[in-house]
Amino acid sequence: MIKQVTEETLENGKRYWKSLDDLACKPSFKNWVEREFPEGASMLEGVQRRGFMKLMAASFGLAGLGMTGCRRPEHTILPYGKSPEELIPGVPNYYATSMPSAQGHTPLIVESHEGRPTKIEGNPSYIPNGGGTSIYAQASVLDLYDPDRSKSSLKRSNENEDSWDVISSDQVKEDLVNLMKEGKVAILAEKSSSTARKALSELLIEKGVIWTEHEAIDLTSPEYKLGNAIGTDSGLRLIPNLGKASRVLSLDCDFLGNREPFSLANTRALMKGRKVLSAKDAKKMNRLYSVESDLTITGGVADHRLRLESSQFIAFTNLLAAEIFTIRKSGSKAEITRLQERGNVLKTHAKWIRECAVDLCSKHKSSVILPGGHLPAEVHLLCYAINQALGCIGRTVQYQVTDKPASNLLSLQEAIGKDNVKTLIFLGGNPVHNASSLDWGNLSDKISNKIHLGDSVNETTSICDYHIGQSHYLESWDEGETWDGTGIVPVQPLLAPLFETMADLELLQLLLGSSQNTHDFVKSLQEKRSSTDSYEDFLRLGVEKQMPTYYSKEIPLSELSKYKEQIPKPPTLDSLEVLLIPDFHAWDGRYANNGWMQECPDPISKLTWDNALLISPALAKTLEEKYPSLGLIPEPTMLNKNGEIAPDAANFDHGKQKAPIVTLSISENQTIEGPLYVQPGLADCSIIATLGLGRTEVGRVGNGTGYNAYPLLGNNFDRIVSNVSIEPTGEFETLANVQEHWSMEGRAIVREGNAEEYISDEAFASHMGAESHSPKIWGKDQEADLKFKAQTTPRGNSSYEHPDHNYEKSETPGLHQWGMAIDLNQCTGCSACVVACQSENNIPIVGKDQVLRGREMHWIRLDRYFSSTARDGAELPSDVQVSFQGVACMHCETAPCETVCPVNATVHDEEGLNAMAYNRCVGTRYCANNCPYKVRRFNFFDWNKRQTDELYKGPLGKKNDPLPDMGKNPDVTVRMRGVMEKCTYCVQRIQESKIQVKVKAQRNALLSTGKDGADIELSNEDIKVPDGTIKTACQQVCPSDSISFGDLSDPESEVSKLKNNPRDYSVLGYLNTRPRTTFLAKVRNPNHSMPDFASSPHAAREYHDKAHPTHHEEGDHDNHAKEGEKH
Amino acid sequence: MRNLFPRWVNTIPVKVILSLGIIGGTVTAGITYYATPKYTRVGYQPTQPVSYDHSFHAGQLGLDCRYCHHGVDKSSHANIPSANVCMSCHKNIKADSPLLAPIRDSYFGEDENKDGKLSEGEDLNDDGILNEGPSVPWVRIHKAPDYVYFNHAIHVNRGVSCVECHGRIDQMEVVHHDKPLSMAFCLECHRNPEKSLRPMNEVTNLAWSIASKEEEDSHITQFHAGLDIKNKWGVNPPLSCTGCHR
Repeated sequence: MIKQVTEETLENGKRYWKSLDDLACKPSFKNWVEREFPEGASMLEGVQRRGFMKLMAASFGLAGLGMTGCRRPEHTILPYGKSPEELIPGVPNYYATSMPSAQGHTPLIVESHEGRPTKIEGNPSYIPNGGGTSIYAQASVLDLYDPDRSKSSLKRSNENEDSWDVISSDQVKEDLVNLMKEGKVAILAEKSSSTARKALSELLIEKGVIWTEHEAIDLTSPEYKLGNAIGTDSGLRLIPNLGKASRVLSLDCDFLGNREPFSLANTRALMKGRKVLSAKDAKKMNRLYSVESDLTITGGVADHRLRLESSQFIAFTNLLAAEIFTIRKSGSKAEITRLQERGNVLKTHAKWIRECAVDLCSKHKSSVILPGGHLPAEVHLLCYAINQALGCIGRTVQYQVTDKPASNLLSLQEAIGKDNVKTLIFLGGNPVHNASSLDWGNLSDKISNKIHLGDSVNETTSICDYHIGQSHYLESWDEGETWDGTGIVPVQPLLAPLFETMADLELLQLLLGSSQNTHDFVKSLQEKRSSTDSYEDFLRLGVEKQMPTYYSKEIPLSELSKYKEQIPKPPTLDSLEVLLIPDFHAWDGRYANNGWMQECPDPISKLTWDNALLISPALAKTLEEKYPSLGLIPEPTMLNKNGEIAPDAANFDHGKQKAPIVTLSISENQTIEGPLYVQPGLADCSIIATLGLGRTEVGRVGNGTGYNAYPLLGNNFDRIVSNVSIEPTGEFETLANVQEHWSMEGRAIVREGNAEEYISDEAFASHMGAESHSPKIWGKDQEADLKFKAQTTPRGNSSYEHPDHNYEKSETPGLHQWGMAIDLNQCTGCSACVVACQSENNIPIVGKDQVLRGREMHWIRLDRYFSSTARDGAELPSDVQVSFQGVACMHCETAPCETVCPVNATVHDEEGLNAMAYNRCVGTRYCANNCPYKVRRFNFFDWNKRQTDELYKGPLGKKNDPLPDMGKNPDVTVRMRGVMEKCTYCVQRIQESKIQVKVKAQRNALLSTGKDGADIELSNEDIKVPDGTIKTACQQVCPSDSISFGDLSDPESEVSKLKNNPRDYSVLGYLNTRPRTTFLAKVRNPNHSMPDFASSPHAAREYHDKAHPTHHEEGDHDNHAKEGEKH
Repeated sequence: MRNLFPRWVNTIPVKVILSLGIIGGTVTAGITYYATPKYTRVGYQPTQPVSYDHSFHAGQLGLDCRYCHHGVDKSSHANIPSANVCMSCHKNIKADSPLLAPIRDSYFGEDENKDGKLSEGEDLNDDGILNEGPSVPWVRIHKAPDYVYFNHAIHVNRGVSCVECHGRIDQMEVVHHDKPLSMAFCLECHRNPEKSLRPMNEVTNLAWSIASKEEEDSHITQFHAGLDIKNKWGVNPPLSCTGCHR
């Protein structure tokens, strides 16, 4: 009887899952996880078998005719006429530059192969980022080689007609000068932190040009909200210094993700404070509280998370302020009572707020509160007051004084209304698309010349009669400030413009009538600033320090009483609120044509090539009751008429998610249509819509992806929209969701513990998983050191002898033994590693259609797991904990893939790498079938060669544009159809470093002896690669250093130390695959007194409940157990 | 109905088997001989745009390989020299030779009066830069397949001479492909590096061979000297796929 109860518990109490279907134990999901590739992935679809045979026969016939294979094609080698200095063919050069973005200039080091930029890395000279880069910076190199970018300037050949003439850059220059002479010029620019552009804009304003700036998602807006509220002219920009923080509260502020600026530095600083290598560190570990409406990656890291609709943050902050002022004894009683009254609506969360406030005040000088940029001014002012009361201003947070805001769209509208504008120049950006609340048609009628400078033809071009192609930042000179104002960084071109394009500075120089080129101009700015460092030094280091001014005046708490307007009513399930956030893939739309960004799954929803309207499970339930045909909530099991188990076709079919399309509307004019997607962790009455996709005038990649949410954005660009109604259209759309691809079932794959558990038992992770019950994997050698295990592959309990990787006649088993350790505690899920790997290893994109078939090619995938508290079986949980795990090839010591390859295409090398010889592979896919980690990727098509929509035409399909090939890494093979591939531990970087070390050692030795070199002696130490020299692409990009890579045979290497840490464990260790990549268990740091405290993470409890189903110790299992006893 | 088939039919199976064997053998032998790099590559000797004579420059004049192929000990590629390397001598020597016209065109480019400055009428594409001329289209002789990442620097610096893969270039008037450069060829040396290792200073000396005592076979002397170098330098060439395939 007990057994029966156990099964029932399992059925209802599963608390650790990857998707709602998994949670519901749907047969379709079970079917799914049992397969290596998603169903359909290995089937030939779209072409009839007969048609295929015909095609093949024809192509064989043609191949025979030419006999081209008999003669070697003649290749020529084309050397320079005059070789440039510092260029040795085959040796890449590195240049410091920076990427202009809405969140300041990001300092970069860019790798260039014979003049072609191929890979972007962060510049470690800028300390806050520490060499990390954001996912957008990684992907930006692809924009340079985008075949759809503007390749020239265009002029509408006839007014009101959609045909364009190509015009030369000389003509453009002449036209611009003439227009400037005519006067009445206005410029609408996208925001920029460029100091050079600012200098030029000031000169232009002096000349009478109307200069306005616009950004739909304006990251600078909170600083002006706060500046206004405090009563200064300038902006007050909040710069967190999380390295010193021990308690952090985020108020709807995704400071680790893409919604807020400075996220790289924040990630680096915060995660450093969460690094635990010993019990001592765990005591000092910082604690993150997050209150949010969306489930962000910040919320994923948080130790305590509260779901709250965005419109309720005014009330929340008031209540929080009241608590903190009470504890800190600042503010009068009347003041506090007033704050309490204003926050009265949220009485239900009073305990959460109080305990959080107590904890913040317990470490008051190292606490910090960060408000989200979209929240109203009152919240920002309150947060300033709270931070002031905590005494943390100047320690964990700084308020940087920034310049006065530039004039905005409204003043442009006004000027146009007054007929002050004859020529309007759009300087980058896409305001026609992302400020759609304006009546652009009407406005443009009043202007005679409309010029658009842009990197590609977009929606704004459509109202213009002149389009000037804009140079990529890797083709232009500029300089700008980092977000925190502590650095000025150069923008240095790595190559001359590929096409006839113009940088924004060049255009402004033309308007000014200056003949100075942009290089000289930027140089003159630097020389004016610095007398000690030369411009060349500036370019070499890539960062120049400057000291911003900070604001730290105390504000009287009576200031807070000026907010008297009514607190917005809490949204209900009938009157919903929408929060508009920048899209993960396209941000505000600017990366919409970037294939890497489109295909990189959103960290939380795991959607690719699409955005969706995210809704909470509670809202889904209400909608489901109202409109039963939506199929939003998966049913546990479904039987068809014959009594057979049938998948729930309404919702999930072969990983193809059918999402119902709904209409959201505020008023008649403001409506959008988009697919619904149920996302646990959302505030009940919030709908999350993302801005940026659904563009109409965009290149081939971004065409037809997602829906456009900009119509909801009103005149004031307030991203919290209330009183929204929802109505299904009755249509469905398929979403390319990779969340269920490559699932590994609910074993102890991600291991988590609380800080307290960790302090009492550092090796908690090794007590989990099946291997903790099985005989020791290494047998008598279990306790041997890593070096011994890596070099000799002890037999352990296996009855088979392990292959010995000493190659014939070579006496040493490889000088190094490579291995990787991934600290799950450091990973935020930002996904930069996915794109970095794609860029380094020439990984192709496959397109939405192929992702739907489960054929995505990413070598590293970020698995996202949800786990929840105890709950009623039928209910979908809302409060979830999120865990991320990056999974790439584990380079198993006893790799299951190697034994099944019939042609030895995948074999072990003497340094422990699981090698993949592409030219040997015949594509049986046995290896992928036998890989327990599902990390092998198969080239079902010639992704690199054919356009993604022409794949099924085989050799007759159209070839890809060759332009992106310029950005390929020449050190990595471009794989073709029919070949298996997977993570190589960046073997090209390993080999290059080994060669460099040996060459250097040899030369140094030769120089020091002065003889012919036959008698020099080199020890192993001389030719070993020093620890830290080799960084894999994913490791290098990671802002939180969660990946370490190195030599296991060196006990002093960082990776060896991490692997010897008690937190270290192998995923699926009981399979005796002995992976070289191991993981360090995640440690959460919850607060005892919080109402949502759980003594161990939900994920760990779920594992224990499952692994020891008969021990019912906690939660609702007690009841079941007692019931069982009764029976 | 007894003798439906004549008697000789009995020999058919034997004949078929025999001829199949012969055909199979011939095809196998043919492929092994004609379709391997030993046959397809060795001897390839295309005509170059400039009849540069290695036997004269490297042999008689004694120019070091690295004077022109200067990236060979630093880079994976042994670069083909750019025109300015040629011109460093040929500005003065045979400065007007018609044979060197492609080199001069490539070097001077738009600089028609050869004064090194941008003068009137020289900026052909109006970019304000004095552009070089068209590259000299040297025909590639040695080519590893795209999936092979051969690195010159590591070989040259670890005592493997140019001659091991390229033959006696210093004796070739027109360069030809001398060694098969097949995977078997590579592995042969990677398995037994001692046969090819030599002191670092002799790497570009193509004529070098180890001085052996009279009574000893030079191969044996080389073997011992190479073994000595191998042990002292810790030479351990990779035999696994990752060594060359990435």
